[in-house]
Amino acid sequence: MADAVEDAGSVSEPMDLVRLLLDEVVCVKLRGDRELKGRLHAYDSHCNLVLGEVEETIYVVDDEDTEEDDLKTISRKSEMLFVRGDSVVLISPFTRS
Amino acid sequence: MNARHFSSVVQHILTSSSFFKTLIDHEVTVELKNDIQIRGVLKSVDQFLNIKLDNIQVVEELKYPHLSAVKNVFIRGSVVRYVHLPQESVDIQLLEDATRREAANQATKAKQG
Amino acid sequence: MENGATSQSEGKDPSGFLSEIIGNPVTVKLNSGVVYKGELQSVDGYMNIALEKTEEFINGVKRRSYGDAFVRGNNVMYISAD
Repeated sequence: MADAVEDAGSVSEPMDLVRLLLDEVVCVKLRGDRELKGRLHAYDSHCNLVLGEVEETIYVVDDEDTEEDDLKTISRKSEMLFVRGDSVVLISPFTRS
Repeated sequence: MNARHFSSVVQHILTSSSFFKTLIDHEVTVELKNDIQIRGVLKSVDQFLNIKLDNIQVVEELKYPHLSAVKNVFIRGSVVRYVHLPQESVDIQLLEDATRREAANQATKAKQG
Repeated sequence: MENGATSQSEGKDPSGFLSEIIGNPVTVKLNSGVVYKGELQSVDGYMNIALEKTEEFINGVKRRSYGDAFVRGNNVMYISAD
């Protein structure tokens, strides 16, 4: 039991990194060229997540008649979002401004 | 090793679905992996996160007219991308505490196993 | 064949390789083709990965860096020690 307390700040398996991000603003990369920024309120071992104050960015390639592939982005907001884990690719602390 | 993984998986499924149980009878918007969004009243959720919605309405109905006559749906959990939730129906403190407890549980189990 | 052989011998099986390279710089390629280079913090049985000082490469071009990054295991094609 004492060990568990001692280990609270350590990263010995990958999920520990996610545990340290609880109640922090995180950046989540998802399948389908999507990204979320939001505060992490919950997660489980499937990477099901609950995020608050979420901003979603969707990257879409706009190949209409223009030569170069224009990278268009769509931005959406959500006050509270459950994310199904199977869409998750990467979770990191939010850093960019 | 395998038995431990299995039991932890089972527990986590239970955690997620018990979270959804607290949202029953609230209005939510389920966003599917094919981009369709369905708003409705959450009636039930199971271990796979399959979802039953009542009184549904399709967001951007003009784009997806084939669902306009449907009143309620059963959604297979695996096709869900997001569930948009009303902020006021989520107890953030409770949720974070439950997540921390779960993480501590996992750590103890990993040591014993 | 004895159970001692699987858990003790290092470098003889894939998970032995992974535990040997913890703390080292690695390249992680995902099924999508995206590549992450960083210091391997930890790996688990699902091949979930924690990386430190991570750099993201898309089509060989550096796109972004992350201090720490958790990568969900199902997306991983390979992990290679640099």
